[in-house]
Amino acid sequence: MSIEVVNLSHSYKEGTPFEKQVLFEINLSIGEGEFVGIIGPTRSGKTTLAQHFNALHIPRRGKVLIDGLDTKDKRADLVKIRHRVGYVFQNPEYQLFAPTVGEDIAFGPLNQKLSREEVEGRVREAMAQVGLDYRALRDRDIFALSGGQKRRAAIAGVLACKPGVLVLDDITAGLDPRGREEILSVIKELHHRRNLTTIFISNSMDEVAAMAERIIVIDRGRVIMDDPTRKVFARFKELRDIGLELPEVTVLIDRLRTAGFNLPAGVLNISEALTSISAALRELEARK
Amino acid sequence: MELTKNITLGVYLPGKSSIHNLDPRTKIITATIMIVLLLISRSYAAFALSALFTGFLITLSGVPAGYAMRGLKPMLPVLAIMWVFQLFLFKAPDTTVYFHWWIFEATAAGLHMGNLIILRVLFLFTVTTFLTLTTSVVSLTDGLENLLKPLRAIGIPSQELVMTLVIALRFVLILAEELEKIIKAQMARGVAFDRGNFIQKTRKIFPVFLPLFIGAFKRAEELIVAMDARSYTGGKGRTKMKTLHMGRVDLGAAAVMIVYGGMLIYIIISTEPMI
Repeated sequence: MSIEVVNLSHSYKEGTPFEKQVLFEINLSIGEGEFVGIIGPTRSGKTTLAQHFNALHIPRRGKVLIDGLDTKDKRADLVKIRHRVGYVFQNPEYQLFAPTVGEDIAFGPLNQKLSREEVEGRVREAMAQVGLDYRALRDRDIFALSGGQKRRAAIAGVLACKPGVLVLDDITAGLDPRGREEILSVIKELHHRRNLTTIFISNSMDEVAAMAERIIVIDRGRVIMDDPTRKVFARFKELRDIGLELPEVTVLIDRLRTAGFNLPAGVLNISEALTSISAALRELEARK
Repeated sequence: MELTKNITLGVYLPGKSSIHNLDPRTKIITATIMIVLLLISRSYAAFALSALFTGFLITLSGVPAGYAMRGLKPMLPVLAIMWVFQLFLFKAPDTTVYFHWWIFEATAAGLHMGNLIILRVLFLFTVTTFLTLTTSVVSLTDGLENLLKPLRAIGIPSQELVMTLVIALRFVLILAEELEKIIKAQMARGVAFDRGNFIQKTRKIFPVFLPLFIGAFKRAEELIVAMDARSYTGGKGRTKMKTLHMGRVDLGAAAVMIVYGGMLIYIIISTEPMI
């Protein structure tokens, strides 16, 4: 599935004294099967933009096309668009509203008016995809889950609708390192196995660098960069100027380079760092 | 999808007008007098004068009139239903009957009763909203506490009461934001809140309330812990950082109120009540 955004602007509280414009003439397109990261300082408009992708916000100025379907079109089936573009919210607590895990995950499929067996199948499949034990957790009280499990249940609830696009809004915020790791590997695998178009909003540069192929940088409601990951992080000065940091591993390798080690510039993740450091070490060894 | 846009009750719109500059006590007393006068108003002429006066106040405050009235928008369907009920079900002897079917009877008395109730609700809402639009929460609290202080003597915990009231007012907006989040989360998974007629839309609201209440209780608990952590022990022995002062504006306000009140009472006495 593809998403096209044309000249999109958005204001909150329009027509009141509190009116505030948060998006300014945004243009971008996201193609089938892409893994796109969206980064930007807090309150830059990331979430507002992303909520246009599944028609939670309907554009007043500009338009958003989902697989060619205009969300502004009165005849467009918004419910269908929302099922096709799955959205995982920032705080999973808001997204979970049924008493048990199984019932919550079944919420989307039930709205699609599927049969009991189909719904049950979807729940089983979605729970397996995110690594939640169907038998043990299906009837568990939602509030008895751990933070990491809640997020996985929230993702499962979206996956059960069988979306073609997955929008993930800062889903690792507030998780411990292991919880983060688990969620990210689930997302990575979904993207690879099902060729799911994935839009990954995050405040952690390390995560985005490790996950996304392409990065869109937003600052004060405007797209200021839209390039392959490596190219975006090569412009670290500009990123710093708007209050973003580089991935920690990139900073580390950079310091090693200035200290005289023969390492490549613009290393983005731990595995790249590992290979380049071990290559450099072998080289040193050989010279001795 | 934006719910908070239409909520004006409990919102403060900062400004520098003479209304904003009034002592909160003056504003609270004035609003109370206006409300009492509205409750004893029974003629169209009286409401017309009140409308003029409210319009004058809104203009003076610089609050956009459209915004001051905006909060009424979500209430309109409810008001319409109330009006219809009064029109068809209010019974009175010796009145013109416009229409009769089974137990339903549209009468002149019903029509006026409907109008009276709607007008009262409209004015009550506008006056209270206008009070919170032009008074910050802090000064509203200070003003109310100060006014209710004498009640302490007869054992009523006025400070705590005011605190509760102000928290409730703050929660209007917080709960609306929470409600918006829950609705969005359900919309994202296929509930069509924006489709269907009034009744269908209303039915979809029910599954939203359970998570809303759970969220409200959680918030209340967090708030209690936060207050405890800052050693809140109620009103006893608390002192104020800012003391309240009445000034020349307040004197002017009193004069204006006396003129308005006098005129309104005269109209109330001298004109024919609508019902």
